[in-house]
Amino acid sequence: MPDLVQFAQSLVNGVGVGLIYGLVGIGFCVIYNASGIVNFAQGVFVMLGGMVCHALLSKLGLPMIVAAVLTVPIVALAGLAIEFLVVRPMWDRGAALFAIILATLATQIAIERLTILTLGDQPRTYPEFTLGGPLKLGSIAISYQLFWILGCGSLMVVLLWLFFTRTTAGRALRACSQNREAAALLGIPVSRMLMLSFALSAGLGAVAGILVTPMQVTAYNIGTPFGVNGFIAAIIGGFGSAAGALAGGVLLGVLQALAIVLLGAGFKNVAALSVLLIVLFLFPSGIFAALQGSKGH
Amino acid sequence: MTSPATTSTSRWARGVVLPVAAVLAVMVFALNSSGYVVTVIGFAAIYAIFVTGLNFFMGYTGQASFGQNAFAALGGYGSAILSGNYYWDPLLALVVSMAFAGVVAAIVGYPTLKLRGHYLAMATFALGLITYEISIEWTGLTSGYMGISGIPPLGVGRYELGTEKQMLVALTAFLLLGVWISTRLRDSRFGRALRAIAGSEPAAQALGINVARYKLMAFVVAALYASCAGSLFAHFVGFISPEVFGGAMVIQSFTMLFLGGIGTTWGPVIGALMVLMLPEFLRGLKELQDVVYSCVLVMILIFAPKGLAGLVALIPTRRAPAAPRPAEAK
Repeated sequence: MPDLVQFAQSLVNGVGVGLIYGLVGIGFCVIYNASGIVNFAQGVFVMLGGMVCHALLSKLGLPMIVAAVLTVPIVALAGLAIEFLVVRPMWDRGAALFAIILATLATQIAIERLTILTLGDQPRTYPEFTLGGPLKLGSIAISYQLFWILGCGSLMVVLLWLFFTRTTAGRALRACSQNREAAALLGIPVSRMLMLSFALSAGLGAVAGILVTPMQVTAYNIGTPFGVNGFIAAIIGGFGSAAGALAGGVLLGVLQALAIVLLGAGFKNVAALSVLLIVLFLFPSGIFAALQGSKGH
Repeated sequence: MTSPATTSTSRWARGVVLPVAAVLAVMVFALNSSGYVVTVIGFAAIYAIFVTGLNFFMGYTGQASFGQNAFAALGGYGSAILSGNYYWDPLLALVVSMAFAGVVAAIVGYPTLKLRGHYLAMATFALGLITYEISIEWTGLTSGYMGISGIPPLGVGRYELGTEKQMLVALTAFLLLGVWISTRLRDSRFGRALRAIAGSEPAAQALGINVARYKLMAFVVAALYASCAGSLFAHFVGFISPEVFGGAMVIQSFTMLFLGGIGTTWGPVIGALMVLMLPEFLRGLKELQDVVYSCVLVMILIFAPKGLAGLVALIPTRRAPAAPRPAEAK
């Protein structure tokens, strides 16, 4: 039977990974709100974030901060490319929902294979941003990277909140999420909003990937697990709310960490996917939405 | 709808005799070729069976499933374990695996198919991922990444299909049987109900069609095809691993379905053949194979969402289209 320290330790780790899931989940919501599209290639941005940052560090020898700051716009460009080459042509032709999903899935496979060909298929990692950890609280070890994740994660949420409430572009995006036709009638360039949402969402994914890589490894195939877990986080949060997605991510991360303690690491993805199916079956509109609904009645 | 009894001779010739003759011609060509061609054509037949099932669920019924590879994995591993480790008759192993996959499809399909839109897509995708993860992690049963080798070839009793060419004949027979069943189902009361659902669910409901039950039945049929294809793959190659039934399989099979024409009887067969022949024309691009498949798929989805067969329909002909077109997927 695992002891209390182990439990506490796994809770700490779960919060860290959960915040990352939350960021990915917010990425899902940003695109979904702007367009009604769920981008199944969302996890690819996390993968690219880690891989590009590692390539900049190891191949160009850039300092960490420069590499991290450069990675975000590079991955955002990749997001724009997906929007321009794959999603927009289908969007303009009024393609069926599942056709767009399929196309983003195919894009993910293509990007993964291209990553293998250009950067290789070996898992890699880089050191934590601040060396010298972990911080010891009794027997619980807290890695300094966790504070970076906490700090950058909250910074992202604050920035997003400011963006969505204080800027014209952010307000326009929110208008699109409420009613695209009405937004278009009011003169909001809805299709440019789609572009913006992909760049934003890709940038968020890149931040998540850069932050999480020192805690684990990155490789061409980490996209799907992060994408699926981010999706679960977004669903738990009711799909559409950034705060909900972040809370959902932390909840999922902690649940997963506990599942690892109890069941072993091997089946952690199976556990997460089962959680996904159970949540979908029980609360097709999200747990928080379901709670609010029951309060209302 | 035309029933087979009232089908005119010319339609019979165009819709049945010609394609069957073409399939047999490809088989005869393969039988007279080197071992490598036999392998490629054999894979095409196996994939064609898988995609025929997918077409049944997506083309005829207008639903979406991104996790049919789960049922191919059930069939493949079922056959590999039952016939390899427990020395069951391969045909019996295939049938038992199919039955198992069908039961699993009914159980997981019941709650899954109640979902809609993105949730349906993600839930079915998750089914494929869960199966993939289990096939990696449950090493006691599946040997994990190492895969299972030494799976015996297909056979009945003492008769074993020792060579690849004998196997190819059996695969062709399976394929023709599969397409025949799919055609007969499509033109039956059951098939008409599915096409009504593809057209409009509320309308189908209003006509007294039990939409949920028919969708589930179509899902189970598709799973049976997938499982059969997985079993045939195991016996044909003699080796399976989790990667065989991974995410690339999903993309490849969708490329086949859209390339050949979704909702058409012979589209899956044509698509499977085209996709598997593609690397032969793109030698040197072997490493880019999956990238090419993905790009082809995206381009079809953008420019010809009904598949290449849909493009043919755009060419003006003097004759009015006589046959009602099968329903397109939503």
